[in-house]
Amino acid sequence: MRIDHAPRSGLAFADLSVQTWAMLVAAYRELNARRLFWVALALNVLVILVIAAVGIDEEGISVLGYDLQIPGITSKLFPPADFYKLMIENLGVGIWLAWLSTILALLSTSSMFPDLASGGVDTMLSKPIGRARLFLTTFACGLLFSTLQVLSFSLMAFLLLGIRAGAWEPGVFVAVPLVAALFSYLFCVQAVVGFITRSAVASVIVTLLFWILVFVIDLGESITLFQRTASRIEREMVQARMDTMKGDAGRESAQKLLTEADVRLERWALANDIALGIKTFLPKTSETAQLTRRALAISAGIGQPADGEQEMRVDENGILQRTRANRRRVEAEVRKELDKRTVTWVVGSSLAFEAVVLAVGLAYFRRRDY
Amino acid sequence: MVATAQAPVPPATGALAIELADVTKTYAGKVQALRGVEMHVRRGEIFGLLGPNGAGKSTLVKIMTTIVRATTARGTILGAPVGHRPTLARVGYLPEHHRFPQYLTGRQCVEFFGAMNLLRRAARRARTEEMLEVVGMRAWADRRVGTYSKGMQQRTGLAAALVNDPELVILDEPTDGVDPVGRSEIRDLLLRMRDEGRTVFLNSHLLGEVELVCDRVAIMLKGRVEVQGTLAELTQASRRWRVAFEGAPPASIAGFGRALPLPGGLRHAVELADGELARVQALIDLLRAEGCAIVGVSETRESLEELFLRLVRDVDGRAAAVGAANINNTMREAR
Repeated sequence: MRIDHAPRSGLAFADLSVQTWAMLVAAYRELNARRLFWVALALNVLVILVIAAVGIDEEGISVLGYDLQIPGITSKLFPPADFYKLMIENLGVGIWLAWLSTILALLSTSSMFPDLASGGVDTMLSKPIGRARLFLTTFACGLLFSTLQVLSFSLMAFLLLGIRAGAWEPGVFVAVPLVAALFSYLFCVQAVVGFITRSAVASVIVTLLFWILVFVIDLGESITLFQRTASRIEREMVQARMDTMKGDAGRESAQKLLTEADVRLERWALANDIALGIKTFLPKTSETAQLTRRALAISAGIGQPADGEQEMRVDENGILQRTRANRRRVEAEVRKELDKRTVTWVVGSSLAFEAVVLAVGLAYFRRRDY
Repeated sequence: MVATAQAPVPPATGALAIELADVTKTYAGKVQALRGVEMHVRRGEIFGLLGPNGAGKSTLVKIMTTIVRATTARGTILGAPVGHRPTLARVGYLPEHHRFPQYLTGRQCVEFFGAMNLLRRAARRARTEEMLEVVGMRAWADRRVGTYSKGMQQRTGLAAALVNDPELVILDEPTDGVDPVGRSEIRDLLLRMRDEGRTVFLNSHLLGEVELVCDRVAIMLKGRVEVQGTLAELTQASRRWRVAFEGAPPASIAGFGRALPLPGGLRHAVELADGELARVQALIDLLRAEGCAIVGVSETRESLEELFLRLVRDVDGRAAAVGAANINNTMREAR
């Protein structure tokens, strides 16, 4: 059989799609050949089964039909739909998909770019495909692992919510792009390091270290935001106390407390601004995972101060007393602050980081001879 | 700079599959791999590229296939400028140390490269089956490439290089790791490709192999094409007449040259330069007069191996100039 080779001045969309599809199919076959992919898929099922095994009704919580006798936690406090959403968000997305499954995905895809750089690159470059497209398509193929995992998880979570809680919640599928995006923030680092060093081990180690760095900075930002919020509330309360004072009695000491509160607020605000500034340029892995909470619309009183706990107190030094109510109130305020951060900021700035890293990798690839 | 044996005029551009001029490559660290390569490969011929290790052969092949970017390059591949990516869909390439995806079966692997060469599904499948049959891999096509022997991987690589029905096939050591029967089959395949009108560019260390199949050859030394042309053109200068006779060499033939002893008895031979036919007759008459029996008169010329060795040693007057170890290795492999 002879092929009609018409001279080409460029490549048509149909040509590009033939190559892209072939690379995606090959990537799927590669995943299929790896046990880790199937192990992760089995663990997906296990996580869903664990969540499904937990039940909640007016009596309390049960596991596989056995009551756990935990006082107060009933379907009156947590409607079943919110209960399962909470479990899916915290256990399913927060721990399993955002951490464990992501690590498995990183391990499973760690050899893709070292393999491209060391073994297959000359064969691929001799085909009518540009370096940029080869690099970016290989990157997209690497996202396949995570996407397939989270897609299967979301589908099972959707069925779980519908069957166990009667809530057919399409919002769970928001986890698919979000978790894929989260994985892509890390995978871009792994891809570029793997491509440059040609070592899968080095790429995994550097990526995990980078993830720890991101986590530490995120933690620092969370702590400083918490302290900043607490300081702001303290100042407001001291100010409110001052406003209610009649005459000059105690006004001087109150003014001193206010000044001290201002200093504390200023200090924490500066620390938080610095941490947030650094964080802005880095991928926001935790916040991206937490975006699923917004999509799942968990708002039924979870995390809010319980009745009778609304009143906040500051001690004689103007410091918030370490009461549960105070902590919950500050946490609620922090959450409000975090919710003000738009999806565009959280995902957009993370994708901007990813774009910069990929651009570095691409520049390296385009200049290099093999 | 090209120093062809008789400086033949290159054919018109349309008749050339590869036309290269002023191809240079300087790697980081000022390592000059290519120093102005000029090369012409005609359409429909088998062209052999020879040279010791480090001569720049692989760099040149990689420039033609866009794997390495030239520092400077003029010329065309299949009529398009060097580096024109869409033209690569008409080129088949088998790299020397290829590593195909180990998780794919042979069939999937060939199909994958068909797709990368822009073949649509139906054509890709048909060509894959055809090429697997041609290279004798159809029976093992559903096994993973990772389980293949070196020879089987090489055959699969050939199928992958040919799946797009290329007009130009660039093969880098295609018989590497292949057993003698397989080598013979690959040689037949190369000849068949030429008969089908394809251009075959063969980069090989194996001089004997190149000599058997190539219409024209180029020998690269130290980043330049030292000579290129047909074997007859390249060895024209070395053409000689050999007069073999039986008996002790008489002193009277000293004026014709030294009599070289031949293996297996009392036979000797005298070699005379091409164009000395009259002297050949005179030598024969003299030998007969001296009572020697003429056992043969033949035309001889350098073998490709002898030519190669001579050129390599001529470059700087010593083999070490291009890496004695490399040359010796090359010659060993050639034998």
